Amino acid sequence: MPTITIDGQTIEVSGDKPLLQECLNQGVELPHFCYHPAMSAPANCRQCMVEVGTPLRDRETGEIKTDANGDPEIQWLPKLQTSCTVQVSDGMVVKTHRTSEKAKRGQRDTMEFLLINHPLDCPICDQAGKCPLQIQSYKYGSEGSRFEFRKVHKPKRVKLGPRVMLDAERCINCTRCTRFTDEVSGSCQLTINQRGVKNYPITGPGETFDDAYSMNTIDICPVGALTSTESRFKARAWEMSRTPSITTINAKGSNCYYMVRDNLIMEVVPRQNIEVNEYWLPDEERVGWAYERFNDERPEHGPEIRVDDELTPVSWDRATDAASNALSSVSSDAVFFLGSAHATVEDNYLLSRIAEHVGAEAPKYIPHVEPGHGDDWLRTDDRTPNAQGCERLGIHPVDAEVLRSRVRSGEIKVLYVLEDDPVASGLFTAEELEDVVVVMHYYNTTNKTLAATDVALPAAMVVETIGTYVNEEGRAQRVRPAKVIKEVNRTLMMATGKSRTDMHGTPFDRWHNESHQVDCLPGWEILPKVAAHLGLEFEFSGPKAIMLEVTEQNPAFHGATYEAMGLQGHRLEDVGETV
Amino acid sequence: MEATNGQSKAGDWQNFERVLLPPIRDLHRLDVYEKEYDGYQAIQKVLREWEPGEVIDEVKQANIRGRGGAAFNAGLKWSFMPPKDDRPRYLACNADESEPGTYKDRQIMEYNPHLMFEGILIANYAMQLDACYVYVRGEYVDWIDHMQRELDKIYEKGYVGENIFGSDFSTEIILHKGAGAYICGEETSLMDSLEGKRGYPRIKPPFPAQKGLWGNPTTINNVETLSHVTLVMRHGADWFSDIGAPTHPGSTIYGISGHVNRPGCYEYPTGMLISDLIEKVCGGMRDGKKLKAVIPGGSSVPPLRADMIDGVTMDADSLREAGSMLGTAGMLVLNEDTDMVTWLRRVNHFYQHESCGQCTPCREGTGWLEAIVTRIDEGEGNLRDLDLLIDLCDQMEGRTICAFADAAAWPVRYTIERFREDFEAKCKPAVFDTGGVAMTA
Amino acid sequence: MSEFNIKKPVVPLPDMDPEPQIPEDELFFTEEELEQIERYKEKYPTNRSAVMPALWMAQQKFGFLPPEVMQLVADALDLPYAHVFGAATFYTQYYKEKKGTYVLDVCCSFSCQACGSYDVLDYLEEKLGIHAGETTEDGRFTIQEVECLGSCGTAPMLQVTNGPYVHNLTEEKLDQLIEDLRNDKMPPFTSVTLPQDEDEMEGNRRSDVEHTDTYQTPPETKRWI
Repeated sequence: MPTITIDGQTIEVSGDKPLLQECLNQGVELPHFCYHPAMSAPANCRQCMVEVGTPLRDRETGEIKTDANGDPEIQWLPKLQTSCTVQVSDGMVVKTHRTSEKAKRGQRDTMEFLLINHPLDCPICDQAGKCPLQIQSYKYGSEGSRFEFRKVHKPKRVKLGPRVMLDAERCINCTRCTRFTDEVSGSCQLTINQRGVKNYPITGPGETFDDAYSMNTIDICPVGALTSTESRFKARAWEMSRTPSITTINAKGSNCYYMVRDNLIMEVVPRQNIEVNEYWLPDEERVGWAYERFNDERPEHGPEIRVDDELTPVSWDRATDAASNALSSVSSDAVFFLGSAHATVEDNYLLSRIAEHVGAEAPKYIPHVEPGHGDDWLRTDDRTPNAQGCERLGIHPVDAEVLRSRVRSGEIKVLYVLEDDPVASGLFTAEELEDVVVVMHYYNTTNKTLAATDVALPAAMVVETIGTYVNEEGRAQRVRPAKVIKEVNRTLMMATGKSRTDMHGTPFDRWHNESHQVDCLPGWEILPKVAAHLGLEFEFSGPKAIMLEVTEQNPAFHGATYEAMGLQGHRLEDVGETV
Repeated sequence: MEATNGQSKAGDWQNFERVLLPPIRDLHRLDVYEKEYDGYQAIQKVLREWEPGEVIDEVKQANIRGRGGAAFNAGLKWSFMPPKDDRPRYLACNADESEPGTYKDRQIMEYNPHLMFEGILIANYAMQLDACYVYVRGEYVDWIDHMQRELDKIYEKGYVGENIFGSDFSTEIILHKGAGAYICGEETSLMDSLEGKRGYPRIKPPFPAQKGLWGNPTTINNVETLSHVTLVMRHGADWFSDIGAPTHPGSTIYGISGHVNRPGCYEYPTGMLISDLIEKVCGGMRDGKKLKAVIPGGSSVPPLRADMIDGVTMDADSLREAGSMLGTAGMLVLNEDTDMVTWLRRVNHFYQHESCGQCTPCREGTGWLEAIVTRIDEGEGNLRDLDLLIDLCDQMEGRTICAFADAAAWPVRYTIERFREDFEAKCKPAVFDTGGVAMTA
Repeated sequence: MSEFNIKKPVVPLPDMDPEPQIPEDELFFTEEELEQIERYKEKYPTNRSAVMPALWMAQQKFGFLPPEVMQLVADALDLPYAHVFGAATFYTQYYKEKKGTYVLDVCCSFSCQACGSYDVLDYLEEKLGIHAGETTEDGRFTIQEVECLGSCGTAPMLQVTNGPYVHNLTEEKLDQLIEDLRNDKMPPFTSVTLPQDEDEMEGNRRSDVEHTDTYQTPPETKRWI
């Protein structure tokens, strides 16, 4: 492994990455825009410039020449080098802006050029507050501008596709977006138009930028040139809290941040996990309905029970009481538990324990597989996040035919549904469930099974709960609450992401918007209440303890403690077809 | 080194017999080239008697300094090619000639294309190349057609293609038509353009010899350079290096334009006195006006003031000493009526228009330079603008992938340095706040 | 100055929802043209390299390169449309919008500038009643100010529709040119004789060209920019 010296500090580096990446890995920040670790380095922004020298070797012997002190003599390259294109070699000496006036000057000069035609409209730009250009111009740029001319006026508000909007004036031509479609997503839908100071990225006229991964260009855009049609002008970066979690629309378990303001999900952005989704997130995770299901379509009334054929709000105690009464009112073989590939491992585990306690057969789950939806990348045919977790718990896909006939024949009298929608899934019609007592944990008011539900228990969604999901590759990953549910104090909730106002705001600007706090409970709170009425006392202090028990008792989850999963997840050992 | 400045190095140039463009009627025709100019003898001799490595050594010894502007020893450039492996290898012949003030390669393409083709074949053999792509600027459409006709003839005769001249060496020549982009004359950008992409210069290293066209070893040479190769292999390295300036030998085509009585392309030995070119070759200044400036080698090189050309000769070393460069030897001569600010404004416009837009300093800097010089030219500039211009040149030079930004900055830097009075005459007088009493300086 | 003016720098957006400008029944390549494209492909190791010759061919056929033609080229080469569009917009000789039948590209780079190219431009603008960058109402002429065309010794000069060069321009010569073009008579290829040939031989060394010109003392320059 080569040893290099950066600003007088000698370090060992891997040697297979460009100098810029090695510096970043060492915590030496170098300003840069065009470089992205997943793509080729065009070195076009010219921002990451440093001074580079290599030890001078004797031409004949090949030995490194040394000076009077025995230190190697260094031959400095006459020009500043873009560190993103420098391959490190043993003995290389690097001076960054921290020690070199020349490098500092070079970076400042480039920054001045970058800003002359940039509109500097930060006050109205969505990127402000998280903008690499803004941040780095404060850190490495000079104050003021010597540019006294009209800036180049380029197209603004260009809808490149259904999800991406272009403001070409803000663009600094780093070409990250065009390289993304060329090298990463492969759609090749973007190109640079024209040349020189007139150029900007665009699709060919008439072509729609409908790449299934188009929104990643927004994430990697180092300025506000590409913004989301969905979330532009909705929230400023500093108003939002940022909670590390995973997405749940498919079985990939892509890592993400949920961005929240006023207890509403404003944006979903990718979070780096080289083992899962690298730096990317498919668009399907962050289009309209993905937000609606978190924000607008949530239950308004808390738990409800059916009284005179109407769902009527009741207290949580009465609701869970009703649920357990339903379970104990019939013989155990007349009860059927539906687990859920949408629900966490912890919740499915508790459900299994209850099924076992009442003597019913083990829960089954409804598979949601849409052949052809997957793309062998970050989209999968499976539209649920936790089928693998269910399988590992011994919860297998339900045999729809068998269950339907058992319901029709009246054999099943009580159906306990965990976080799913059997009617919308086509398992039954609402009429077929008329004579069955249905207890359901549900997320959204759009749930079609509500019409046949007798005890409706609003459940916390992925953005509100704590728990574990196992993706299709067997990686167990934690989710954390991004928004808080009713009667939970956000600032006291340790696992919740905090925004600037959460941490530093006064009581006046800290949000207390009760209307956006859903009256729901996580499965790991509802299920123990139900179990308690049935005489089964769970003594877990919380989901972490539940998961600990799962790891200890079920070898398919070996090692997947909350500590081990951390932010990057824990790869579980492969198990056979049957668990 | 012998004294470079002061006297002509072109010897008895009045009686020089042209070798690139010898006075032979219809020399562009294959039959004439073969019959009257020993055409395609050199390549046949090379194929019969020379090892590829020996050809490279001969060309290196001849010291043909690249005629495209960089003046780098062509043979040395060839020697950078890695040993032959299973990858294809290419030559790109740079016929993109688009440096303002330059129109000499076109003369070879029109009047002696086979000299270039033969040079290409020799180069391909010396470096064991599979093909040569001749990248001709799109505007030269008539000359491309003209060359294609002649190329078809040598394909027909088996001089190029499979087993050329019955040897076991096979190689191709392909003409490629550009479409209007100055930057494609930059060798790495030319490669991107040949690959069908936007013509963006590439980062070096890797150098073309390692990773050039389609990722394979590639050498790029100018039309005139390759034409000289034929002559070197025909007459020997010593013959070549005896012509003209000792450190920059051979003949060259001086393309002269501007305020002279008889502009045009003239072939003479290198090392001609600039004053001889103007006075004796081009018949002096138009209307007997005084000389103001000479731009010796295309728009990218620093302009020389009239009083700077005394004893300066047209070769890389003399011009470097004088504070300019030989470039393409496309010389623009300007008379005393020229306003250098207006002239520079047009040069700046050119660079703004032709910047590929890849690197920040060039993309933004070229437009900014144009904006400032335009303002000065229109009488709205301030003296402090001159300092800003120099500052911007500092910020552009050496900070980009290719040398375009340098080429854009040098004319600005040196025009201000050498013709400052023109700028001062146009700038608004600086006004100092002296408490109500206006003072000008 | 050419269309983009640094004093009022505006970069327009192409029509992103373009109406086809070539009738659908004309928008295709013939068998011969497709064979020609195949031959272009054979010249290079990758299809992508054939994009420039294919665009030239398409421009020859359709007169200019509206989006649907670029798409046609992309399909013929099996390339992404955006790659073809990106290449076409990089090079100035590809016409992205409809031009006049005759495009007069007046070189205004520094040698021509010093030898009266702006006077040529003024004269043409006056004569045709349009500004540089515009097309006459009858769709016959477009005037463009272009960068160096590589004929600095015969300045001022121009090129007609990416084709023949017209050298040593004077008002009389421009009058004649416009009249000829109005009668659809393209200027012929003109060889410019070398001064040394004029001294050493009869001037024109090519027996295969009918039209020649010589390098001449350039005219006085009235307008410089």
